[in-house]
Amino acid sequence: MSLPAMPMPAEDERPFDPPPEYAELRAGATMIRVSCPTGLDAWLISDYAGVREVLGDGRRFSTRPGLAAHVLSSYGPESPIDNFTRMDGPEHVRIRRNFAPQVTHARRLAELRPMVERITDEAITRMLASPQPYPLHSQFSTAITTSVIAELIGVPSSQRHLLHEAAMALFDTSTKADQLREALTPLYTYLYEAVATRRAQPGDDVLSRMIEHSADSDRPLTDTELTEMNAALLIAGFDTTASMITYGLLALLNIPGEWEKLVADPSTAASATEELVRYLAVGTGLLRQATEDTEVNGQPIRAGDYVVVAVQSGNRDMALHADADDFDITRKPGAHLGFGHGAHACVGQQIARMELTTVLRALATRVPTLRVAVPLNEVEWKKDSVVRGPAELPVAWT
Amino acid sequence: MKVAVDRDHCIGAGNCAMTAPSVFDQDADEAIVILLTDSPPDSEQDAVQQAVDRCPAAVIRLLP
Ligand code: HEM
Ligand code: SF4
Repeated sequence: MSLPAMPMPAEDERPFDPPPEYAELRAGATMIRVSCPTGLDAWLISDYAGVREVLGDGRRFSTRPGLAAHVLSSYGPESPIDNFTRMDGPEHVRIRRNFAPQVTHARRLAELRPMVERITDEAITRMLASPQPYPLHSQFSTAITTSVIAELIGVPSSQRHLLHEAAMALFDTSTKADQLREALTPLYTYLYEAVATRRAQPGDDVLSRMIEHSADSDRPLTDTELTEMNAALLIAGFDTTASMITYGLLALLNIPGEWEKLVADPSTAASATEELVRYLAVGTGLLRQATEDTEVNGQPIRAGDYVVVAVQSGNRDMALHADADDFDITRKPGAHLGFGHGAHACVGQQIARMELTTVLRALATRVPTLRVAVPLNEVEWKKDSVVRGPAELPVAWT
Repeated sequence: MKVAVDRDHCIGAGNCAMTAPSVFDQDADEAIVILLTDSPPDSEQDAVQQAVDRCPAAVIRLLP
């Protein structure tokens, strides 16, 4: 007997909402078995409490198969555990503790803000001097987030194509394991050499700071670990955030009244950022594997079973907000699952927040007449990517 | 109101320090949570509850 297919986002039909099937499952905290795009069979969890419980308990629910192996063909559960996103427990915490001081420390972020503001201002100035319609996603969103993460890690402009190529392969659901290895090699080679260079000549970048920070610990990071960690930041760092800028602006400009609220009071950029991530993030869900016989929502789950948590659906749970299906940029920021939850929660969340807030505030201030130059039903959507959003977005202004 | 944190399982995500900066800080070296006070004033109740909800590692607890 074949299982129903896991409901996947269909932005051309419902640009900003999860598939309608989720509403009923979520309301009853009902869990069903589904067949995922890569062929895994999994439990599907779509309510807020269930998603939060699974992501929050790394002991019962491991990331070993890969955070997105239900939609990415490139890392099947059999492939070797070669990076921290697939580790659990103390091994994983050791790596996260080496990230945190560089990318999630509140004071460190304050130091980085002027850099993000400068890059954003330059991008807006470039945009305003360009012919219309202007391709926002490639020329603006991606340009900003690439510059930010590359400057953080100290990757020169001449090498930035490496992270674009790596991310394109990694996030593409159709990439096979051997193709992925091949596509990642140039970035890994570059970073591996950069580790040696920065050991000899440290700078003020994240990579140099990680080397220095870990040197004093009981088990300093190896060159391979440093390569892997910085590759993860570079790859995960720009496309996710760029897509959220583009997708977010499309939502802000299409859902009546929201852009006007932001223009009237650009200081709502921070709550708008939180609301965008709550409303739009992780439409394809995340994967975990049960380590023991257990249960969620009263449903028994056996050791070894796969579990897909539908993050976007969980964020629309009425248990979280009575009006969770409404988009409101002035909603008081609160807990949500858009950056994940638990030990693997997004390492880049504070950087992403800062980038999104800066961009929204600056655009609302400098380009208040911004509009999308095509009707919503003509927007071209990414199809084969786990990072959802428009493939391109033509915009105009007066 | 009493607050406790479990530093061993903190992943340094920084949501607490952003949400309730008068109650939580992060140490300079590892970005691990530092409790600035274990009995915050009632005016901070809301912010502290937010920090509890937003801590990805679930290491902040409100004690009775
Ligand atoms: C709006 C933008 C972003 C969104 C919506 C987002 C979302 C997420 C989510 C949901 C997870 C958890 C995955 C899981 O638990 O299975 C995650 C993990 C991760 N994110 Fe982000 N992210 C964003 C931006 C960034 C940025 C800017 C960076 C880097 C600077 C980054 C780096 C990472 C890394 C390295 C992980 C893996 C963490 C681990 O496994 O311990 N992300 N992200
Ligand atoms: S939010 Fe939680 S995990 Fe993050 S620094 Fe604060 S206590 Fe640690």
